[in-house]
Amino acid sequence: MKCGDAIAYMHEYLDGDLPLEQRRKLKHHLSECPACAARFQSMQHTEALLRAMPVEAAPADLTHKIMKSLPRTRSPKSWTTWVRRHPGMSAAAIFLLIMLSSFVAMWNQGQQLSLKGDDLEHVVVKGRTVIVPEGERVEGDLIIENGELQVLGEVDGNLTVIDGNVTLASTAHIAGKVKEIDRAMDWAWYKLTSWFDTLAYGS
Amino acid sequence: MRPMETRLARLARKGDQRAFAEIVELYKDKLFHLANRMMSNRQEAEDIVQETFLRVYKHLDRYDENQKFSTWIYRIATNLCIDRLRKRRPVYSLDAESSDHEGLDGYAMMPSDDRTPESELLLSETQRIIHETIETLPLKYRAVMALRYFQDMSLQEISEVLEMPVTTVKTRVHRGREFLRKKLEPKL
Repeated sequence: MKCGDAIAYMHEYLDGDLPLEQRRKLKHHLSECPACAARFQSMQHTEALLRAMPVEAAPADLTHKIMKSLPRTRSPKSWTTWVRRHPGMSAAAIFLLIMLSSFVAMWNQGQQLSLKGDDLEHVVVKGRTVIVPEGERVEGDLIIENGELQVLGEVDGNLTVIDGNVTLASTAHIAGKVKEIDRAMDWAWYKLTSWFDTLAYGS
Repeated sequence: MRPMETRLARLARKGDQRAFAEIVELYKDKLFHLANRMMSNRQEAEDIVQETFLRVYKHLDRYDENQKFSTWIYRIATNLCIDRLRKRRPVYSLDAESSDHEGLDGYAMMPSDDRTPESELLLSETQRIIHETIETLPLKYRAVMALRYFQDMSLQEISEVLEMPVTTVKTRVHRGREFLRKKLEPKL
């Protein structure tokens, strides 16, 4: 047996993994090779010293410290675990939720009549009806939400009616375009484009 | 042993603080011994034990009951030790006399001297030498050796704790053993 093999056997022996047959071979080699015998003795000595290292107990107040440091309530398997496991899906879900809630919020906002325009002095409001009286002239655009519009006079701009309708008298004169928006999709699209317009041109 | 710990873990998961306290009682000394040998520092060992239990508590849901509870808790503790040792700045010997403060060694200058005889078990001269030699063990052998010799784990158990093949564990034990033998031989 070579010394190199003997050293490998020594380690296997200390691991408790050396079969009986090899143990005999090792023993035989050690009886013939003083260098290996000395090495083996030194290894066993180290082994014994390591195992004899005293066990120090943890400080007495450690349990108390640990129990005190724990968070008050242990949250059971929560949605955060799911979020951690599906980051992409979570981001998509949150995005969708925000989009939906802002849409709903915007939709619910406009249940009452709202009137926008540059020149509202020449406009008369009766209940949910907005009237541009005969002979009057409205400068600029008019936007009406959730209401009727009767035009008897002149409008010097675009007319937009959302969720309502327009009645034009024979005397009416509108310089710009007339737009009626009824459905939610159109409405959302209109909101979106007007928002972009605001961004682009500032009001 | 095993079903009892699993039962305690289940109770703790449901929020039973007493069950968790029992787990702490079962493991704190073993973990402290392991961390103290790996870090060679009582204060750090204490911190690590505390942090280990905190993590165990927070992540009880992730404990897979198909593996032994001890494997899981030892894995958390050893990983914490290894992380801390990696982050450590190079260690300066406390025994070296400082050039700025004549006659004062590192112990004297430590603000909170945790090496007082009250806090440290009286080690024999031989044990002190071994203790210091373990400190010089390269990191990758240190965890393996600590689990092998101070927790009396089988190579198989170590391989489960450290999540590495048994053959790797074996190689590291052999190298660690040779390392210690070479260092200790001239001193003892």
